[in-house]
Amino acid sequence: MSKVYFSTWKSEQINNIGKPEDAWEESAYKLPMQYNEHREAKAFIGWDGVALYDEDVDVVRLATEYAAQYQVYSEACGRCAPGRWGGRILYDLLDKIARGEGSRSDMDHLKEVARNMQLTSKCEIGKTVPNPLLDLMTHFESDFLECIEKQKPSKHYHEEVGYVAKITAPCTDACPAHVDIPAYIEGVRDLRFDDSLIATRQTMPLAHTCGRVCPHPCEDECRRTNLDEPISIMELKRLGADYETDHGFGFFHPAEKKPDTGKKVAVIGAGPAGLTTAYYLALEGVHCDVYEELPVLGGEVTVGVPEYRMPWAKYEKDIEAVKDLGVNFITNTRVTAEMMRQFEKEYDAVMVATGTRISKKVRCENERPEIKGYWGAIDFLDKVNLYVKFGYTLSEAEKEEYMIDNDYVDLTGKTVVCVGGGFTSMDVVRCSVRAGAKKVIMLYRRDEKTIIRNTTYEEYHEAVEEGVEFIFHSAVQKMVDEDDVLKKLVVDRFELVPDPDGGRPQLKKIEGASFEIECDYLIPAVSQSADLDLLPEEWEIEMTSWATIKTNGRDYMTSRKGIFASGDCEYGPMTIVNAVGQAKRASSVISRYVQTGEISLTDEEIMEDQLRKMRVYDKNEKVTGWLPGLPRQRSEVVDVDIRKSSNVEVNFGLTQEQAISEAERCMRCYYIAMVAN
Amino acid sequence: MSKTINFTIDGRPVSAAEGETILNVARREGIYIPTMCYLEKTNPAASCRLCVVECEGVEGMVLSCQTPPTEGLAVTSDNARLHEERTNIMRLYDVNHPLECGVCDKSGACDLQNKTMEFGVDAQHFTAKDQPRHNNHWGLINYDPSLCIMCEKCTHVCNEVIGDDAIELLFGGYKSTVVPKNSDTLDCTFCGECIAVCPVGALISSDFQYTANAWELTRIPSTCAHCSAGCALEYEVKTYGAGRPGEERIFRVTNNFEFTTLCGAGRFGFDYDVRASKDPAAFEAAVSALEKADAVRFPSIITNEEALMLQRLKETRGIRLYNEDARRYKVFMDAFRSVEPSEKVFATTDSLKESTGIIVVGSRIATDNPGVRYAMTTAARHHGSKIAYMHPMEDTLLQNVVTQFVKYEVGTEEGVLALLAKTLLEQAELTKKAQAFLDSLDEGYLSAESNVGEEELETLRRSLQRSKNNTLVLGSDLMGHPRAENIAKIAALIARYGDFKVLVAAREVNTVGAAAICDLDIDEGGSAVGYNAPGDFVIGADETADLVTPALNQQEGTVVSLNRHLLPLNAAVGFDGYELNDLANALGVGKTHTIDFTAELPEDAGFRGIAFDDLENFHSPLGEDRRGYRLALPKAKVTSQPDEVDELPEFNGTVVYRCDPVLQFNAFTARTSQLSDAAGALTGSEQFATAARIADGDRVTIVRAGGEYTREFKLDTTLKGTIALEPTFDGGFSAANAAYRFEKVKIMKASNDE
Repeated sequence: MSKVYFSTWKSEQINNIGKPEDAWEESAYKLPMQYNEHREAKAFIGWDGVALYDEDVDVVRLATEYAAQYQVYSEACGRCAPGRWGGRILYDLLDKIARGEGSRSDMDHLKEVARNMQLTSKCEIGKTVPNPLLDLMTHFESDFLECIEKQKPSKHYHEEVGYVAKITAPCTDACPAHVDIPAYIEGVRDLRFDDSLIATRQTMPLAHTCGRVCPHPCEDECRRTNLDEPISIMELKRLGADYETDHGFGFFHPAEKKPDTGKKVAVIGAGPAGLTTAYYLALEGVHCDVYEELPVLGGEVTVGVPEYRMPWAKYEKDIEAVKDLGVNFITNTRVTAEMMRQFEKEYDAVMVATGTRISKKVRCENERPEIKGYWGAIDFLDKVNLYVKFGYTLSEAEKEEYMIDNDYVDLTGKTVVCVGGGFTSMDVVRCSVRAGAKKVIMLYRRDEKTIIRNTTYEEYHEAVEEGVEFIFHSAVQKMVDEDDVLKKLVVDRFELVPDPDGGRPQLKKIEGASFEIECDYLIPAVSQSADLDLLPEEWEIEMTSWATIKTNGRDYMTSRKGIFASGDCEYGPMTIVNAVGQAKRASSVISRYVQTGEISLTDEEIMEDQLRKMRVYDKNEKVTGWLPGLPRQRSEVVDVDIRKSSNVEVNFGLTQEQAISEAERCMRCYYIAMVAN
Repeated sequence: MSKTINFTIDGRPVSAAEGETILNVARREGIYIPTMCYLEKTNPAASCRLCVVECEGVEGMVLSCQTPPTEGLAVTSDNARLHEERTNIMRLYDVNHPLECGVCDKSGACDLQNKTMEFGVDAQHFTAKDQPRHNNHWGLINYDPSLCIMCEKCTHVCNEVIGDDAIELLFGGYKSTVVPKNSDTLDCTFCGECIAVCPVGALISSDFQYTANAWELTRIPSTCAHCSAGCALEYEVKTYGAGRPGEERIFRVTNNFEFTTLCGAGRFGFDYDVRASKDPAAFEAAVSALEKADAVRFPSIITNEEALMLQRLKETRGIRLYNEDARRYKVFMDAFRSVEPSEKVFATTDSLKESTGIIVVGSRIATDNPGVRYAMTTAARHHGSKIAYMHPMEDTLLQNVVTQFVKYEVGTEEGVLALLAKTLLEQAELTKKAQAFLDSLDEGYLSAESNVGEEELETLRRSLQRSKNNTLVLGSDLMGHPRAENIAKIAALIARYGDFKVLVAAREVNTVGAAAICDLDIDEGGSAVGYNAPGDFVIGADETADLVTPALNQQEGTVVSLNRHLLPLNAAVGFDGYELNDLANALGVGKTHTIDFTAELPEDAGFRGIAFDDLENFHSPLGEDRRGYRLALPKAKVTSQPDEVDELPEFNGTVVYRCDPVLQFNAFTARTSQLSDAAGALTGSEQFATAARIADGDRVTIVRAGGEYTREFKLDTTLKGTIALEPTFDGGFSAANAAYRFEKVKIMKASNDE
């Protein structure tokens, strides 16, 4: 709900002109109300209408400036005839009217060009820019005519008025890293894979990785869904990355590295958040030392995500791109509180990006870590992946502890029960299949639909194909051991009871339906928590209620000045792309902070956050100018019998032909949003 | 699993194959939809928006160039609304377009001009501030941004078909222009395809600019004579004008760019014709030389008809025929077919475009045969092909198409092929003999000597796991190799059992034809009459020859491309002197016209007995190649198996590789006005220069088995390793050499006063 004086946003018709302010009707939308960090906005104008917050807005000038913003955009594009010339003409004619030199025929030409752009432009930006302009010309026709008839400039034409504009798209808005998705898809469509990769890397350094293991929230807000099916956005990211890797080019960075600023930042943790922080700071000329506890780089994507989903050879390329910018990595180094105190003095800023590496308990009776066969998911995956990807073997003590005869995780003949429902638990059960387990069972409290929503359709079905047994609506009641060796589990069954008040259905235990499972291992993969021993107690860093580091979610500084946090240790266990998005923003804040000592957001970043709040995607929006019914391309996967017993990558990725036709389905839903003060 | 989609355009029932767009189907059906940016051989740029159509039940206008139809769709290709918006787009295109049609080279053949008239745009309705722009001079190419309509055809073709990726758009909205990519000036192979596809006068040949109007030029369809790819081209010809009345010259070469592609040698290297008048004394001398000759030496730069005349001379007079290039090709092919006789295993440059697994061995293919390179670029860009390039020298021109470079030691080609066979036939079902051959290989030895490692081969094998229509491209290094026959046999084994097609990259325009027609003798360098070749008496298309005869752009005839496609040549400009047929007549084997031989080309070698004037020579409006015909391969049987691999040779010391620079192929390209800016230089890497103790610009003496000569050395920082490139194009007829292309030599800095 936003307080407005006038609004045509999303076809609403709010007109408070002439009404006293306390009688103003409100807009139904969370419109961007802020101009910048210090000021409120007076107007918002975008792809689907215009909203005025103040009577004093010069609408003729507002229209002109919006056209000018399009002109700026089209100067970064200019790829279709209507957009290229139409944009120029819109601006030239509007400015002519606004400065008091227009004629009535200019209004007609404006409308004619506007219609041509709406019907034939290549991207939505060209199609939608005329919308609010026509709204203004309709609802405030008299203002335009006054300029024309009196041949005088619009009321604030010669005054300094500020405008902040931002290009966005539904997918870009939905992506936590705000990747310029239409641009990288355009690179594929144009067969300019280097351009595609450069577009991705502007906000997302891990192109190989997020072309594979991203849960792609963008696809849930892909506007193509309104027509038929979402674009296979995630997989298209691979083409640019593969092009770079396959042809042995150097690295295509999004910009030239800036000269050394002499500033340096310590980054704790070499996972996605740490890598991203280092990458963008390095581009800004800030030196980064990245400290990593493990002997290998990459964090949870390396030791958590299995080889068959994320081949190390590919992730390694993403990491090499970061190294290529001169980032310094220090492995096998667990950062302590004492070191942190030192870092605070030695570095201009510190980024904590240590993830969440403690497996939470399943909360059942007799859940004692000393029972052999009770194996936390994070530790289990560490051991599997360090062997599969790097050949690290188990020590004698570890073999004893985990009851493993071989010097790698070999589960031949064993029964494994995993409790979970998210990506980590999927990794556990599918790794267990590959480690030769006789039987692999996943216990999940909720149903099939929810597990698919929490992971992906593909992930779940591939696991089923590989022979994982899913038991839904179930939870471990008790671990049963003999001399501290796990023997079996007592499992309760639940049913969903609808909430009479219409809330989320409640799980209720079915009495007498409990059963036992004999097993060798119970692997809890319900969730993880952050290990934050490294934070000196006296810093009294503020925590969230779920024991992660608290920031305001915009600039990612902790309660202690100069100490930043991003990724899972800030948000709680979440996605790679979330970590990347946070770290990208944080690196932007840090790059200014190390220079000025001030915490600030750019106008664009403020707008980015406001737009996300408003949400760019509208599932009810009608799509015109595109033929529906063109199906999404699906990539092939390795035959189940082959993949069950090997670690080869399961998904082949789209073929080039598939990728190109998928890219041609993209509607380039770019929009311009602009606020004025 | 190709699915047909039935739908209608303007009420007419039509159907689309999988992957076809609405525009493709409309064109196939002869339904006109206007476009300004569409180019058949590239992905749609989708920039002009003229091709919008209406679809029943769909609000708005749909772009036909990139939209495949759906079942039952009703498309309207034209109506008042569409016409209005298309007209509006043309009005926009015309905003501030310079009104210089009177002097523009494109006038009369300009898409913008045509569409402006088609849509009746007779005035500029909108104004937009004009902007200063300046012309760019990029060597053989001029670019005028004020004429540019940003259709993007040039950038698409450069990246997707050629592979240079040398130009890109500098985005600037209304100010957008085309600029060299990552460079201040255009740094490319100058194929000139950007000129060909430019719909307006923005990109233009600098040599052609302001010399002629499109409508004054006579277009003569022919075939490029510079390499074996057999690219279609048109010579555009006009008289010199008042200065030399009646005498014609070629003003430029163009191509049907929608479907065919030309390299710069074809496009810019066209004026190699010679002038001569009938000199009876020289003619008599030539007749007498031939009467006395033991042998005639000739290159494969010859028509089938002339080759047949020479063959008739052999048959009637017992004259031996020397053409090492064609002979070695024939030996190679015969050996290949003794192991794999099937006709189906031979790829073409067209099938190569669809191949998603390609291995190139034994050729610096990008310069040896640009047509093959372009096909690989298409395969790489459009189909994501995995392309392994195996050669002793890396080639930066191929970097963006090659996915794996495998370097082998000079001379070890036989071992390399054997290792390839071992790798690619691992899972194949083989005959006992073939299996025995593979089992007999000493991989350790072969790997060690050739320097091709197990890991590289494993990477190669894995990269081809999902590939389709695999092709093995065999280059002329292999045909020249002392072990050519066994190399061919091993390659045949791969083709027979490994599901590979083979493209044998013959060197010259008519290597294939000459090999099919002539019964060739081994040339041991003895005395011979040379026809466009060295000899005691030289007949040829060179003003210094003892008898001057016409060049290939001055005569009618046919050639056979590496695709075994017989292609017609037409005379672009006249010739007043004697032809080989005149000599043949004097010796009793001639005919009234050279092309009277066309119908007599030997049917047992695959020719069809069609008369020259009955040959078709065009591409259909849908791109079907209707030039000449494809030769059948004579029947053959399996008669042989690969022999044991011989001990692999070592090439220590200074090694040069005979390879011409981009745009150069032979003595003919060397003398064309646009390409002959400098004599060739020995070109080597820094490492080579250091080892040979020479520096950029030095005159160096190259000492080889057959003698020594001096030329300039040029340092090329894109080269790596210890092998230098030695050009032959600048050595006249005598430089042609079909032997193994790597050679041990001695190189010394020449003294300055030489």
